[in-house]
Amino acid sequence: MSAKKDKGLYLSDRPPLTTLKVILLGISYVLLFFYVFIVLWPLSQILFTSFNGNQGSYIQIGGTYEFSTKHFDYLFQETYFLNWVLNTIVIALATAVLTLIFVSFTGYAYSRYRFKGRKASLMAIMLIQTIPTFAGIAAFYTLHSIVISIAPWFSRQLFLILIYAGGGIAGNTFILKGYIDSISTELDDAARIDGCGNLQVYRLIIMPIVRPMLAVIALWSFIGPFLDFMLPSILLNDPKTYTLATGLNTLITDQYNMHQPVFAAGGLLTAVPIIILFIALQKQLVSGLASGAVKG
Amino acid sequence: MNHKDTIRNEIGVECKRKNLELCHSPHISDEDKKAYAFLRQQARGEEKAFLQKAPERKAAFEPRILDTDLAVRRYLLEAQENEARAVFYKGLIDLDYDFELQYIIAKEKAQQLPQIAALRRELLLERQVAEQALKKVKSEKHEEAIQTFSDAREKQRQNLKDEIALLKKARQEGLISPKAFTNEKREKKLEIRDAIAVLKRQLPVRREQERLRHVRHRLSHDIKGQLRVLHSDIADHARKIPVEIKKKKPLISYLTWPLPGLGQLLLGQYMKAALFFIGSLFTYLVAIPYALGRQNYRGKGLFGLISLAAGGSRLDRSVIFMVEGVIAIILLLMGLLILYQSYRDVRRVETSMIQGVRKNNWFETKTTIRREGFPFFASAPAALVTIFIVLLPIAVTILISFTNYDPSHQSKFNWTGLLNYKQIVLGQGIAGGPFWYITGWTILWTIFATSLAILIGFVLALLVNQDRIYGKRLFRTVYLLPWAVPAFITIMFFSIMFSPSGPLTLALSSLLGKTVNIKYLTWGTRAVLIFLQGWLGSSYIFLLCTGILQGIPNDLYEAARIDGATGFQATRHITIPILLFQTAPLLIGQYTFNFNNFSIIWLFNGGGPFEPSKYGNIAGSSDLLISYIYKLTIQKQYQGIGSAITLIVSLALIFFTWIGFSRSKAFREEKL
Repeated sequence: MSAKKDKGLYLSDRPPLTTLKVILLGISYVLLFFYVFIVLWPLSQILFTSFNGNQGSYIQIGGTYEFSTKHFDYLFQETYFLNWVLNTIVIALATAVLTLIFVSFTGYAYSRYRFKGRKASLMAIMLIQTIPTFAGIAAFYTLHSIVISIAPWFSRQLFLILIYAGGGIAGNTFILKGYIDSISTELDDAARIDGCGNLQVYRLIIMPIVRPMLAVIALWSFIGPFLDFMLPSILLNDPKTYTLATGLNTLITDQYNMHQPVFAAGGLLTAVPIIILFIALQKQLVSGLASGAVKG
Repeated sequence: MNHKDTIRNEIGVECKRKNLELCHSPHISDEDKKAYAFLRQQARGEEKAFLQKAPERKAAFEPRILDTDLAVRRYLLEAQENEARAVFYKGLIDLDYDFELQYIIAKEKAQQLPQIAALRRELLLERQVAEQALKKVKSEKHEEAIQTFSDAREKQRQNLKDEIALLKKARQEGLISPKAFTNEKREKKLEIRDAIAVLKRQLPVRREQERLRHVRHRLSHDIKGQLRVLHSDIADHARKIPVEIKKKKPLISYLTWPLPGLGQLLLGQYMKAALFFIGSLFTYLVAIPYALGRQNYRGKGLFGLISLAAGGSRLDRSVIFMVEGVIAIILLLMGLLILYQSYRDVRRVETSMIQGVRKNNWFETKTTIRREGFPFFASAPAALVTIFIVLLPIAVTILISFTNYDPSHQSKFNWTGLLNYKQIVLGQGIAGGPFWYITGWTILWTIFATSLAILIGFVLALLVNQDRIYGKRLFRTVYLLPWAVPAFITIMFFSIMFSPSGPLTLALSSLLGKTVNIKYLTWGTRAVLIFLQGWLGSSYIFLLCTGILQGIPNDLYEAARIDGATGFQATRHITIPILLFQTAPLLIGQYTFNFNNFSIIWLFNGGGPFEPSKYGNIAGSSDLLISYIYKLTIQKQYQGIGSAITLIVSLALIFFTWIGFSRSKAFREEKL
């Protein structure tokens, strides 16, 4: 494209464009813009309907448009939206922290120590984890009632956190272990000679190096509860304790409480921070997923 | 079996027996043995008398110590006592290895403890000096020093400002890149901060405070380190000195089976015994009573697994009995593990003692636990959570699949063996009927939905990453969106759009000229679901491929071009093979993900539309196995059959994951 005809000098290091190539390039652009439309149309509809005041309980597209924030007002005043946001953030944060604690220990132990049953246990748990989580739902209910009989403060949300964190241990251990494996053990040896104990080696030597991977693990554990619909819909029974996914779902499935535009508004508010997070951290997020599978 | 005439110490060196009574060599007459026994008896008597006099020796020495610090006094007293012991035991070395060990311990202590005492004395003195210096400095006025410090700090700060201004100028003139600018700025800031910290340390009060802190730290750490050196020196010697015992068989180990800790106690390893006693408390106060039905929530421990609450009261539920039965098994296994570990530990110590290896003292045991036990301690919390949150529910699911847990047996159910599996395989009954139809659609869905997403992602990545495409960044950001927006939001939104009065239904109807209600059409719903998943899943594939494409070195393409390859050929023979090779393991993950993709099915149309003639009253025609299981277990309460299906699905999934695993690089390289 940088060939300037008027100067008559061809300066690009690429071969000149033939007619066929121009056509192919045109087709490429058409396809790309077509897909841009496919991606943006539904998402833009969520944006528009959430601000369209000219709708009742149902979403209307193509009718008259009237800008208003009444759906947002409804969302904040008539629903438990703020509760849902708070619940989700608390659950997500707790899951991330718990996962980090568990996985730091196991990843380090599985990478740096040779002990009996190391390979077998990891492999077994990795395979068993492919079993869908809610397979054991009958047991979850019962377990929960047993736990409350001992500790009445143990709410269903806490149980949910434990399930999220427990479910992520094996996979994340695998990822972190792979990452720690790639660090030379000479550093540890040097630290040990200088008198570091097991935990000090982790805290002072390994943790600073694996921090990027820990961040990825924390990030994924944090995002998980925002995206999951299934477990909270099974485990949580009071609308006040819902997470965002289950809470927003009540706005479109509940016969008496049906407010599709309000759902769009809530969806928008939920999606925007997550989109920003994804766009800002896309490289790390993809690398986390990829390393888990490649190393696995 | 007779005792051997030589014994082996821990390092594996053969040593001569000193205890003639245990020798069977023909060179040693019975008289010799008797004489030896007498001598030994006498020595034991002397030893007892000698040790009883310890308080006298202490009383004699104590007034001669001038130190006031209790620890120093203790070290010195102990050193003195050990000196006396060393002299005493030296004469007995040839009689018994135990005496030799005592001699060596006493010698080491007598040698090292005075040094430790001296070190502590010195450090205490240093602390005193430092404290006084601090007090003195605090009482003085330091306006001048503070003034110098704040002047110097001001100067440093000014310096920083100047440097940053210089950098800014360089940046504006384009001499350095933005990245270099931020890095340089950060470096300079750190440098100045360090310089200021150094200046601060030079303030008199600060300086003395630091010095005091340093001495205090040494006081606690250096002494401990020295003591550790002493203990490990003693342990090193103990390893070289064998032990002689009469026993030929490890009998105590059998004794310790019922009560962990007992054997350790009998062998004289008291701390270890205490630890195992705590373990046995768990076995006898928690695990076994629980298994017998005590302290249960509602169930009857292990017996609950057999009876499943049959004939119980109205409140007794079979599930609870089952879960508690499984918990009982887990606790019991843990308890047995403790018993077994204790047995193994005692047995190991005993058999090696028979060979002549001296048992470890607490210092050595502690070191071993710290080194070899660490991975177990570190993963214990994770293991506990995994056992109760992952393994226990799965065990219960497996058990439930062999029962008739269904709507008419909610409170009480019985074992029915393989009945559920039979119903599923033969496609019988209300719940098992549609199994094969649903399996068929699940497989179709998995293949088409995933492949479509992969195809779209691949093609988009190839298109965007062409040389001559402009606005790559924009395209990438837009194509990321379906992945970045939480899937449940988009799925619910599409569900609204396709609802009977939804905008897309109306648009479609006016386009075709007749009412087309996608959600009422089996194949309509299925097609929309596949496209929707293609839309949702392509982003991730796109990002992945883009990452890989950017990593392919340009040399490959240049080489191809020089060899005369067209752009299409280069793509076909370089790009696509690399892409496929690198993404393959992840693509398997995508297939298993979609196999279990509950959200999209559930949130779009709830598994509908219903087709009772084929699918019965429970499942809809777009239900996947996973959503079918959900309906069976959560909604319609056919937990028995639901669990059986779960198991079948899980086994299939495990099989495919295993294949993916065993082909992965890490596994093949034995790096796991």
